[in-house]
Amino acid sequence: MLKIRAIVAFAAVLISSVSVTADVQKGGTANLVLLPKFLGILPFDQARRGAEEAHKELQNKGSLDYIGPTPENSVAGQIEMLTTATTQKKNVVMLSNNAGDQIAAAAEAAQAAGTKVVTWDSPIPSGKGETVFVAQVDFGSIGVVMADMAHSIMGGSGDFAILSATPDAANQNAWIAAMKETLKGDKYKNLKLVDTVYGDDQAEKSYNAALALVDKHKNMKLIMAPTSVGIVAASKALQDEKLCDKIKVSGLGVPAEMVSYTMNGCAPEFALWSFVDLGYLTYYTSYALATSAIKGNIGDEVNAGRMGKFKIEADPGRKNTKRILMGPFTVYNKKNVEAAAK
Amino acid sequence: MISPPLAGERSTIVSHPILELRHISKSFGMTAAMADVSIAILPGQVHAIVGENGAGKSTLIKILTGVHQPDEGEMLVDGKQMQIRSTEDAQKHGIAAIFQEPMVFPDLDVAENIFISHHNLGLVMNWATQYQHANEIIARLGITLDPRRLANGLTLAEQQTVEIARALSLNVRALIMDEPTASLSAHEVDRLVQIVEALKMRGVAVIYISHRLEEIFRIADTVTVMRDGKHISTKPISQVTQQGMVRDMVGRSINHFSMKVAANAHGEKILSVRNLTRDGVFSDVSFDLHIGEVLCFAGLIGSRRTDVGLALFGVEPATSGYIEVARQPVTIDSPQSALKYLIAYVSEDRRKFGLALNMPIFANISLPSLKKLLRLFGLIDRKAEIAMAESHRERLSIRTPNVTIDVGKLSGGNQQKVMLAKWLETEPRILIFDEPTRGIDIGAKTEVHNIIRELAIRGVAIIVISSDLPEVLMLADRVLVMREGRQMGIFDISEATQENIMALATGQTAAMSQ
Amino acid sequence: MNVLLRNFHPQTLRVITLAVVLLLVIVFFVSQIDNYFSPRTLNRIASSAAVILPIAIGQAIVVMTRNIDLSVGSLVGITAYVTGDILAYAPFGPFLTLFIALSIGALCGAFNGVLVAYGRVPSIIVTLGTLALFRTFLVEYSEARTITTDSLPKWVVELPQTTLFSVGVLEVRVMVIVALVAALIFSLALWKLRAARKFYAVGSNPDAAIMAGINSERVVFTAFVLSGMLAGLAGLIFLARFGNITVVAGLGFELKSIAAVVVGGVNIFGGSGTILGVVLGTLLVDTIDNSLIRWAIVSEFWREALLGILIMTAVAVDTFMARSYVQLRKLVA
Repeated sequence: MLKIRAIVAFAAVLISSVSVTADVQKGGTANLVLLPKFLGILPFDQARRGAEEAHKELQNKGSLDYIGPTPENSVAGQIEMLTTATTQKKNVVMLSNNAGDQIAAAAEAAQAAGTKVVTWDSPIPSGKGETVFVAQVDFGSIGVVMADMAHSIMGGSGDFAILSATPDAANQNAWIAAMKETLKGDKYKNLKLVDTVYGDDQAEKSYNAALALVDKHKNMKLIMAPTSVGIVAASKALQDEKLCDKIKVSGLGVPAEMVSYTMNGCAPEFALWSFVDLGYLTYYTSYALATSAIKGNIGDEVNAGRMGKFKIEADPGRKNTKRILMGPFTVYNKKNVEAAAK
Repeated sequence: MISPPLAGERSTIVSHPILELRHISKSFGMTAAMADVSIAILPGQVHAIVGENGAGKSTLIKILTGVHQPDEGEMLVDGKQMQIRSTEDAQKHGIAAIFQEPMVFPDLDVAENIFISHHNLGLVMNWATQYQHANEIIARLGITLDPRRLANGLTLAEQQTVEIARALSLNVRALIMDEPTASLSAHEVDRLVQIVEALKMRGVAVIYISHRLEEIFRIADTVTVMRDGKHISTKPISQVTQQGMVRDMVGRSINHFSMKVAANAHGEKILSVRNLTRDGVFSDVSFDLHIGEVLCFAGLIGSRRTDVGLALFGVEPATSGYIEVARQPVTIDSPQSALKYLIAYVSEDRRKFGLALNMPIFANISLPSLKKLLRLFGLIDRKAEIAMAESHRERLSIRTPNVTIDVGKLSGGNQQKVMLAKWLETEPRILIFDEPTRGIDIGAKTEVHNIIRELAIRGVAIIVISSDLPEVLMLADRVLVMREGRQMGIFDISEATQENIMALATGQTAAMSQ
Repeated sequence: MNVLLRNFHPQTLRVITLAVVLLLVIVFFVSQIDNYFSPRTLNRIASSAAVILPIAIGQAIVVMTRNIDLSVGSLVGITAYVTGDILAYAPFGPFLTLFIALSIGALCGAFNGVLVAYGRVPSIIVTLGTLALFRTFLVEYSEARTITTDSLPKWVVELPQTTLFSVGVLEVRVMVIVALVAALIFSLALWKLRAARKFYAVGSNPDAAIMAGINSERVVFTAFVLSGMLAGLAGLIFLARFGNITVVAGLGFELKSIAAVVVGGVNIFGGSGTILGVVLGTLLVDTIDNSLIRWAIVSEFWREALLGILIMTAVAVDTFMARSYVQLRKLVA
């Protein structure tokens, strides 16, 4: 008897660490919270639309709350709201982290109290308290795409600079590192990265930083801005200075904000993934976790409706963390930007 | 027969009063601050108003300037009944006041300070004209002052002048000066007297409030004495003597307070102070204090008695002088060092120095003696802390349901007792009380007096700083009188009377010797 | 020396010091950065400072009355966004648009003013509250939309490049002139307008102001309305300059404006300060901020720290000078 029990127990342990593939059951009950960096800007609202689409599809009897801090209160607000969701016994909080590792303690407390934390868009750097990160694209592939756009815009050779968000932004730094890696390749040997500056994701700082780059580097042909705020500000700055013939802008941007600059040639090419899809996939993952369809182990598979199947894997960018990779992304230019902007 | 104008009358023109108070009364709660006061203020005259602290002078000023409204009686301006509801109202009637602390704008220049109250000078400033007008007004006061200077760099006396000029620019007709000389040097006082003379010449009535009797004889045409909110007398200065004035001010018959406790047989000398000085504040204070003795510091406001107390407690240490506690020379440069020599200070300003009003009674009492309550690992023994407070509650009969309620909820008298308990717990050898009964009711006052005497009997040496002369005479074994930072003399209680204390406190030493 | 010191207003000294420091800073950067000294650099700094200057002026007036307005950043955001939104539906001309922007700002400023002046709530509490409140309103109002340059009338989009006149190679942009005109108007008003002198009086000695029959409630209220109005002007300049407006517009401007005001010699405890000082303060803060990006030696993190050090130095110098001024005065008198 005792032996059998022991075997059962052992099996249970095994099962819990073994990957599962399960179709998520519609009509379950999962109380979910979508927590963006802050409220009021387009990409996060698009993610919300994706999540709402999934919410309807899955006929979730539970709730989907879209809550977030206001921009001036982002870091403290996120931590507070995560803690509140924990005390309300929500099943999963979907977090686009803006608080760096400061939020790790709150996330660990949430996990301990039974509230899972699924990050999207921007993870918790240390991975502490995080169940899984739904990555928009592979950080390595962002490096390749940015290097390729630079290559094609500059015609294979020339100086360029990076205008990033904040100097301690985890995702931007990872992307820039990936890009530098890519630039070592032979194809890019004539591209020269001359500077990296930061606009703190604020219009006026990014605008001034772009102009400072112009003044600083006489031979610069391109500003690469892997941030939606920076790319618009840089485009506007160059347009205002009537420099678009000489210097181009590229990077990651939202089509609706970029359309005029792409059409007038200031920013001929830029890339982005779909935030709607990111919200959709994050929701499916969270729902599967909440209804125990998956455990969140490496190898677990999520069947995400119209987007197909996704697997949880080790995150190559961060030690001891897990991710689901969405990908790919779309490169926008004159041909497709107007349609996407609508 | 036509009688010639009386000698000493300055004006041959029959002058009607600018300002007249008729049967004015004002109470705050149960206390009558002013009862049936009638005064007439004539143009071109200096009308001095004198009285002890609490005689009702400040209430009078506040009624004249519209800060308070009288409960009863009427006010007449130019013979017409008027109500003065605000400072602006008073200003409109030509009544202005200047106080000990001048009300100037430090960041504005002299000219702008003068004309700031003019609200009808047009939209646009004309600086040149304004400087010119300022110069004219300053010239009228017979002084020199650059109108371009910032008020920030002016001396107190100069700031006062700016205020007078401001009043003059508003065509002031009755100017109230409340203790204007309290912080001025002798030279500056001379200049102020000159200015007052200039104002008189222009027909301005000056209502002059001062404790300095010599100034009053120098400057006033008429003197009104007030006491306990009542109008005692109004006389031309020619008919007033200094002794008479002091008697009127002190008033009460001495017998009334004859319940003098028998003086203790004093123990040995515990505190000896020689030439204690704080530069620019007080100088050369010397006295001895014995075990079981109560020494009272008497004097008027501004006599710097409190500063001596603060120096002995190390809050504002003396700059020179010699202090001996129990025959050992000591240096007191902080309250910590004072507490080390078992000197404690029960402050007048309960809010500022004494009590944490939003903390419970027991925590206030235990604060300076927490060391006694420390147990294992430096934790506070809360039970012992409460017991400590309870014992004081009984001994001092602090009226409160329990000792865990906040001190702020107690009455003034009970707050005073909590503060006393707090310092008693430090088991002081020398206890300094600053105005121990200010603002508390009669019943509590008697209790506090009894506690003080009892402490003395039990061997504590006590200094009481008090402006309340009957209190001084009742409590003291000896009285040290101060005036403007100087020690004027020490009386044994057997020699002390309200008159001779008052005479020293107001600087009328001449009156004494007569 | 005596006479000189007697008639020397401490603010004059302050302005001269600032001008010298600004000059030294420029000389320093010229020596450090290639091609630094050019009409282009001047244009850059002027255009960038033009956004902050109106807010700094408003902040200065509020600080003069012993208050503070922390809501200006959120106010810039609201006016930039709402004005942009209105223009998208009704492409008004410049003057009507200016009127709209100023009105939105003044309205929000009046809200602050009522609470501070008549409600007697400390300004730091009120404006800390409205800092969040206005931003939340903006987030709700925006429904996550972005105002883009496409939706704006042509004159707005071209405004940043519109040059009023050129002095040699130096192009003087309209927005810079607008900001400078605002500075000139308020500088004149504070010097010459009797009513405006009350801002100094109320801040210098509130008790004395009441005794002098000044309606200090109204003065403080007016200060907040003006601060709101000027934030509205800055909002319009912001809209024209950056074109793309999201809910983050103007984030952190309250600190930048306070920095400019304090460095510009406005006493944080009220009562004194000049608009000329504020203009120089704004220029100094902006010059340092914009030049440090171009200075290779300084890392990103140090830029913020340097700005902080600058503010602390300014306050320390201010306190020190105020003290020594009084002492010098005593010596001379």
